[in-house]
Amino acid sequence: MPGVDLTIEICGMSGDGTIAAGTLLNEALSGAGFSIIGFDSYPAEIRGFGRCVTRSRFGTSRMLALSDHTHVLISLDDQQAISRISMLGKNAKVLFDNKPAGTVQEGMSIAAHTAPDADLYGMPFTDLASEAAGTTRGKNLAALGCFTGLAGIDPRFFYTVIEKKFRAKGETVLNANLNSFNAGLTYAHTHFEDAPLVITAPAPEKKKVQRIMLSGNAAIARGALDAGLALYFGYPITPATPIMEYLAKTLPQKGGKVVQMEDEISSIGAVLGSFYAGKRAMTATSGPGLALMAEMISLGVMSETPAVIVDAQRGGPSTGLPTKTEQSDLHAAVFGGPGDSPRIVIAPTDVAECYQFTLKSFELAEKYQTPVIVLTDFFLDNRVENVAAADISGKKRVDGNIYPPKKEQGRYQRYLVTPSGISPRALPGSEGYIYPATGLEHTEAGLPDYSEPVHMQMNAKRHTKIRQALADLPPPKEFSQKGPLDLGVIAWGSSFGAALEAVLKARKKGLAVGALKVISLFPYHEEQIRQFMSRCRRVLIPELNFQGQLANLIGHLHHGDVVRFNRTTGTPLLPSEILLKIQELLQKDNT
Amino acid sequence: MKTSGRILAQKVQDIQTSGRLSIRSASLPTWCPGCGYFGIHQGLNNAIQQLSLPHHSIVTVTGIGCAGRYAFFNNTYSFHVTHGRTLPVATGVKLANPALTVFAIGGDGDGLAIGGGHLPHMARRNINVNYLLFDNSMYGLTKGQPSPSSPVGTKTKVSPAGTFEMPLNASLLGLSYGTTFAARLFAGDPESITQALIEGIRHEGFSFFHIYTTCLTFDKENKTWEHLKERVHPLPQKYDCSNLSKAMAHILEDDFSTGVIYKKS
Repeated sequence: MPGVDLTIEICGMSGDGTIAAGTLLNEALSGAGFSIIGFDSYPAEIRGFGRCVTRSRFGTSRMLALSDHTHVLISLDDQQAISRISMLGKNAKVLFDNKPAGTVQEGMSIAAHTAPDADLYGMPFTDLASEAAGTTRGKNLAALGCFTGLAGIDPRFFYTVIEKKFRAKGETVLNANLNSFNAGLTYAHTHFEDAPLVITAPAPEKKKVQRIMLSGNAAIARGALDAGLALYFGYPITPATPIMEYLAKTLPQKGGKVVQMEDEISSIGAVLGSFYAGKRAMTATSGPGLALMAEMISLGVMSETPAVIVDAQRGGPSTGLPTKTEQSDLHAAVFGGPGDSPRIVIAPTDVAECYQFTLKSFELAEKYQTPVIVLTDFFLDNRVENVAAADISGKKRVDGNIYPPKKEQGRYQRYLVTPSGISPRALPGSEGYIYPATGLEHTEAGLPDYSEPVHMQMNAKRHTKIRQALADLPPPKEFSQKGPLDLGVIAWGSSFGAALEAVLKARKKGLAVGALKVISLFPYHEEQIRQFMSRCRRVLIPELNFQGQLANLIGHLHHGDVVRFNRTTGTPLLPSEILLKIQELLQKDNT
Repeated sequence: MKTSGRILAQKVQDIQTSGRLSIRSASLPTWCPGCGYFGIHQGLNNAIQQLSLPHHSIVTVTGIGCAGRYAFFNNTYSFHVTHGRTLPVATGVKLANPALTVFAIGGDGDGLAIGGGHLPHMARRNINVNYLLFDNSMYGLTKGQPSPSSPVGTKTKVSPAGTFEMPLNASLLGLSYGTTFAARLFAGDPESITQALIEGIRHEGFSFFHIYTTCLTFDKENKTWEHLKERVHPLPQKYDCSNLSKAMAHILEDDFSTGVIYKKS
């Protein structure tokens, strides 16, 4: 039997419980053993047009990206869901609330809008809930019950998550929701005897893997907490704000503080102050905030002060597209700020890496005494994945600080030039190591000095240090067969999953194609990237920005053609379009 | 000029060798001879001395400009940051390690122009940082441009016809932002600076010190030593520093009284 790979959308008006239903669906499917990637879309306006959509792709193999089409659409409000019809694939199933004729506004039943090949399942969600629980509020649960019945999924997976979600709200609420769900389930069973859409749960794993449903933003916050974050300073900005919200709830319990600052400049300023005084701190922002931080980041570089900055990218330039995804801050992250100011920039490619590399960034920032930018984007921040608990916990905080030895007391030089470029760093409050830190060019003692040898020596020191960090940074990861390749696909950040899926599909078609995941964007692993490229006749770099910013950064390492594949529509890259590009390129080569 | 520089260097050396002011670093101040900042330096150092604060427990966060160079002239931990950003950095330092005594030091350009957006929020947060704003109404290190506290009509190379902007009153701003401790002081009176600083450092919360000083190199008309000495005077004897509305009324009436103008009880 071929593996399951399905995409379900739930669409409704705000107040219909759309998001809640989507969350329950994800949790239940995760409990059934499926791999899940979910991504909700919502308008930028607070009330928007009231439309809520949750989109979940789930399957038996690991889900790497979003899919092109929706296989099942559950409509909680037809007027809203009609707009989602364009996403439906062939023979899609559409579940909708078949209210009695006359109660639906003319032309507003989804049944009148779908293509002829769609399978329509009209079921009285509202009435079922109302009869079962005495309130129409459970119509989202009734809809889930209908879906479960139609798909022949074991309802126990849903009972578990409904119980978990509503138990705390008391017996009455819990029962109302369970009854609504069961009413839908029974209705589907009695009206559609043979489940028309059989979704078989994967065989239980031999060793039970505990999975947690997590968004990229939550994973970042958890990574920071496990790193021993003491202080968070931030300024609200989409799509980074959920990190602050998560930490506002959790950090104070660990004795830390979340402080909302007056702007992004003060946020990064306070982060630098905190690290300077010896405590781990973080800020998270998006492109407009990163631009404001540029001068302070270069202060961190010059004064060799650690900092951790999350840049949750959105569409730009300027205020741009606040609720759309894009990968267009790469240049700003790597090069932003005055002068030659090398810093570390890493980009996770999935939710588990959001946790892992945020945690790692604190250690790197301390060890290399430098600002570290964790580059994510709207899609990665807001997508949910059911990650293995082992991948996002159990990591211990590693102290990256290198302190001066006792013998240096009294004659300590903060910016001592060493072979590694790293100078032991004393913390304020310690006796015998007083020094000035400064954004001016300075001597080993930290005193201003603009002379030629000093500036040359110190520039070299700062760059040596960052190059050394390569040893501690996650190297590029290759997914390909051995030997020469007709095409190598190199991708970063949230787009990597789509690139990998496209490459895997191309290989199944017999094409000699490989993928390379680049995580560390500055410094980058020049040798490994060059080696991969040298085996590729052509290189394709797909990314969600207009100019091809990764191609600009590493394209010169390739001896031949670097093909850019760029799109700025505000939506995530899809495996199908990358696959199409791969086929097109290889076809051209053969003709 | 050269002679006065040598005399000054000799003076500093004498002070250092006497051990009376070990708080001074080995780097000699680079301020122009006769600069008002020497008086503030002396006032602050005496306060540190009198409070017996261990030097390694002090962090001095400074901005950009002549006042920013303070970072190099004292034997304390110091962080010379970017233009206008002393208060955010000081916030991070103090929250990270509350045992440290934290000073933020910057000029009127640093604190009222580029960094003017931080003072209100520092006051709101009321974190225990001591902020010294050196106000000489002049950009000195960039060789003489008007500042936000320069009077209307200030003539400089970039304002040959005289400025048209109204001056900001730093003390009044501090009070209106809700600062819990505010003092207005004069660089020519180090002793009163010391007294106010001792009180402010002991104050649990944000302390704001607005210090009138002079730029004798670029300001020949406005805040010159002569003018300041002539006008500056202590607060009235029966002045009540616990009454905010009276303090504000007083500041509006009298531009040159000095002392602790407000202390929230």
